[in-house]
Amino acid sequence: MTPRPFTVGGYVLSIATWLSLWFGVAVVAVVVGGRLWAWDTRLQMENVLGLRLEWVATASVVGAALALAGLAFQALLRNPLAEPYILGVSGGAALAFILSSLFLSVTLAPVFGFVGALATVAIVYAIAQRRGRLEPYTLLLTGVIINAFYGASIMLVTALVRPEQRGDIAVWMMGNIGAFGPQWGLVKVAGGLAAGAAILFALLAKGFNLVAVGEDTAGALGVPVERLRIVTFVVASLVTGASVALVGPIGFVGLICPHLLRMILGPDHRRLVPAAFFFGATFLVLADLLACLWEGASDRALPVGVLTAMCGVPFFIYLLRMRWRRSAEIR
Amino acid sequence: MRCRVLHLVAGLLPVFLLAGCDKGAPPAAPDARPLRILSLTPNITEILFAMGLGDKVVGRSTYCNYPPEAAALPAVGDTMQVGLEKIIRLEPTVAFMVTRRDDVPKRLEGLGIRTVKLQSDRMDQALESIRTIGRETGRPEAAQALIDRIEADLAAVRRRVAGLPRPKVLFAFPMTVGSSRIMVAGRGTFVDELLTTAGAENAYPEKADWPTVGPQQVIAMAPDVVIINATGEDAPPDRVEAIRRAWQSLTSVPAVARGRVHILTETFLTIPGPRVGQAARLLAETIHPELHAEAGKVSMGWHGHAPLRGQELPSYRAPGHAPARGHATRQSDFALSSREGGRS
Amino acid sequence: MAQVGGNPVAVQAAAGPYVEGRDVEFAYPKGPRVLQGLSLRVERGRLACLLGPNGSGKTTLLRIFVGLLAPSKGEVRLAGIRLADYPRGALARRVAYVPQETLAAVGFTVLETVLMGRSPHTGALGFESARDWYAAREALRLTDADAFAERGLEELSGGERQRVIIARALAQEPDVMLLDEPTSFLDIRHQHAIYGLLRRLVKEREITVVCVSHDLNLAAAYADDLVLVSRGRVAAAGKPDEVIRPEVLSPVYETPVEVRRDEATGRPYLLPRPPG
Repeated sequence: MTPRPFTVGGYVLSIATWLSLWFGVAVVAVVVGGRLWAWDTRLQMENVLGLRLEWVATASVVGAALALAGLAFQALLRNPLAEPYILGVSGGAALAFILSSLFLSVTLAPVFGFVGALATVAIVYAIAQRRGRLEPYTLLLTGVIINAFYGASIMLVTALVRPEQRGDIAVWMMGNIGAFGPQWGLVKVAGGLAAGAAILFALLAKGFNLVAVGEDTAGALGVPVERLRIVTFVVASLVTGASVALVGPIGFVGLICPHLLRMILGPDHRRLVPAAFFFGATFLVLADLLACLWEGASDRALPVGVLTAMCGVPFFIYLLRMRWRRSAEIR
Repeated sequence: MRCRVLHLVAGLLPVFLLAGCDKGAPPAAPDARPLRILSLTPNITEILFAMGLGDKVVGRSTYCNYPPEAAALPAVGDTMQVGLEKIIRLEPTVAFMVTRRDDVPKRLEGLGIRTVKLQSDRMDQALESIRTIGRETGRPEAAQALIDRIEADLAAVRRRVAGLPRPKVLFAFPMTVGSSRIMVAGRGTFVDELLTTAGAENAYPEKADWPTVGPQQVIAMAPDVVIINATGEDAPPDRVEAIRRAWQSLTSVPAVARGRVHILTETFLTIPGPRVGQAARLLAETIHPELHAEAGKVSMGWHGHAPLRGQELPSYRAPGHAPARGHATRQSDFALSSREGGRS
Repeated sequence: MAQVGGNPVAVQAAAGPYVEGRDVEFAYPKGPRVLQGLSLRVERGRLACLLGPNGSGKTTLLRIFVGLLAPSKGEVRLAGIRLADYPRGALARRVAYVPQETLAAVGFTVLETVLMGRSPHTGALGFESARDWYAAREALRLTDADAFAERGLEELSGGERQRVIIARALAQEPDVMLLDEPTSFLDIRHQHAIYGLLRRLVKEREITVVCVSHDLNLAAAYADDLVLVSRGRVAAAGKPDEVIRPEVLSPVYETPVEVRRDEATGRPYLLPRPPG
């Protein structure tokens, strides 16, 4: 791959390209998804398209957020298997959301979910930090522990509630973009967070590159490694928490998108960050469109999280074989 | 509560065209032992108490909590899972349940308990079940009296709505978090029959038990009235508000535009039992506001009933006894005044 | 004070030592003291080599000079300014560090790796200018690494990778270069090529180089100053002739040595005599 200079012109052009791709896919998703149910009057058409627009917007925001968070966590933990839920933030958001929607408040459940995510960030930081510093390995282990705790807690709640409520919990845990009800307010908030994270990570992208190469290298080249780690951890966790509070834990987007992009664009985070933002959005809009088509054909709902999970397996096999082939060539 | 619907759903598989449909158990040999009844389905429990057999019931399912006397009985499980030890201790002589499965009935038969499987997907099946219970318990006259009362109740509702325009009504359950689809009553179910009795047409066009639909389909169905049965006393306090807000986004639906989305919390709407008359009446009054005796009391727009907390439920008595009080809803004063015959 | 956006202009021109440490002490948290009051002065435009046995604290000292570690006591100055007073970016533009760590194979090409050396100069989003590319290519040429500029880092041998790391440091266009055993994996030709390059940089561009060296002879042949570090202290400092002496080296390395003179260069070289 011949290296190209990273210039302003190239940057703007690539952003425009990714943006157009997303836009095209989004328009198709709105129209095709809407047309699956016939409408008779103009009022119905507006209503249906309005709903589709909201769902596509949700998918875009969540996809962008998860892809960004996945990229950031992979850089932070220096681990290609890292994904947004690895540090337990999604578990905290999920537990808080579930408890709220069952016992406290239905309308405020997403807010509680986000608060749960915030609390988890604080807890994980408190446990993983040593003298105020975050080491990737310790962070990873702490995340595993916290995940286990939340997994067990959710299981406990599921066991204790009425059987019909168990079904609801299970469905939510699969991750669903569309809801029977408006979400614009939440989508806007999550969208703002995702955009903010994108800008922040674009500024940190240089640092991600250097930290990936070596911690000492990065420090010597002027990267505030510790600050970078903490900020990345907090911001990536927040957008993850917002996503989970909005649509539930949709898996694999945060894992697949960064890897796919690395295969196309290489390991340079300066190019990966804006690409992740738009490609993540496109990816999830496409997945949602597929789920919508399925629903139209079979008259049953397919949670998007199921679709993305099914994509995960063949993807991993492919990834594994690519790595084998690559390392075999070097030898 | 939706749990009752799930029981119906469990028993309501798509209709098979089987050669030998189960018409109910063959007539039993007269049982010399005193009657000890186990009821594993809520509507059966209500039927038993309405037939005056309440004192013979020794055990109920976890979901049978009406009438209040039933709630005091020991709960042994449900049609999918039973606690055998508890049942053995109760020493029932006969068990009634609404199910299509064989596993639980077989286990009860194995314990020497005569088990009668009943169906109540449709009204005629529900009435047939009452007859069967009358036969099995040696009280055919009580059964017939109950059937007559129910049919009279329904006929009375039909008379009241005769001649009124028949709007398209969608009977739905509250949406659940995480799903974009809601469960609605399809055609052919007994709720659908109640809607017809109440002078409405089911907005869902096809024969189906409890299908789920997404918002786009609701828009396409364009119901004039939407009734949402939000039972569940332990739901979060803002659930009604959440339902209201969710439906408000479907602006092109006529019911939404005209403020004809009603949230009813009564649990008996989905129980094919003695209270179907009440159910039909409530539906009729909700669907046809012009039935309200005083025009000023017409409650148009959104209204939701608070969950029935702390209000005494009517005590169900067999025919011949004076009814205690009216059914407890906010419309109670209207309901009493327009009811004929003073029956509860 | 150091300025943002370029090498500081307001510098005390050649007044006093360029790289200086005074009574530097350092201990890792809950660990033994690695540096015990070490003082060191390197003038501008000189090539100084840090020598010493394993564990004497050379790498730690270097990392303190880069700013990766903070000394528990004592002071470190660059160009007369305290290290703590440098903004991070300005420090990175002034000081280049060639660490001992191996580069993680993340998929970057050689050219991309060397371009990373330009990151103190490339601004917030990291846009690269023609100037950056020129510096990177020049650095690759100087380290004889431009043949594999477009290859992935994983494909290179250890020695080739080391040259790439040095090129990255060169691309930074620093005033000070701190290198930690930069030639440990290189063959003889490249060892001498690198040290020769360092000498040239020192002479032609007035860069100050502090270099940790395992190879005493290499250091003796090229360095202007030698600093012998032992157990966290300076055991000897001065020109090669002053430090490369049996009475100085034997006690520190705990092994008998013999010192000869290279007729051609006039520099001392040593022959270790294994005990017994």
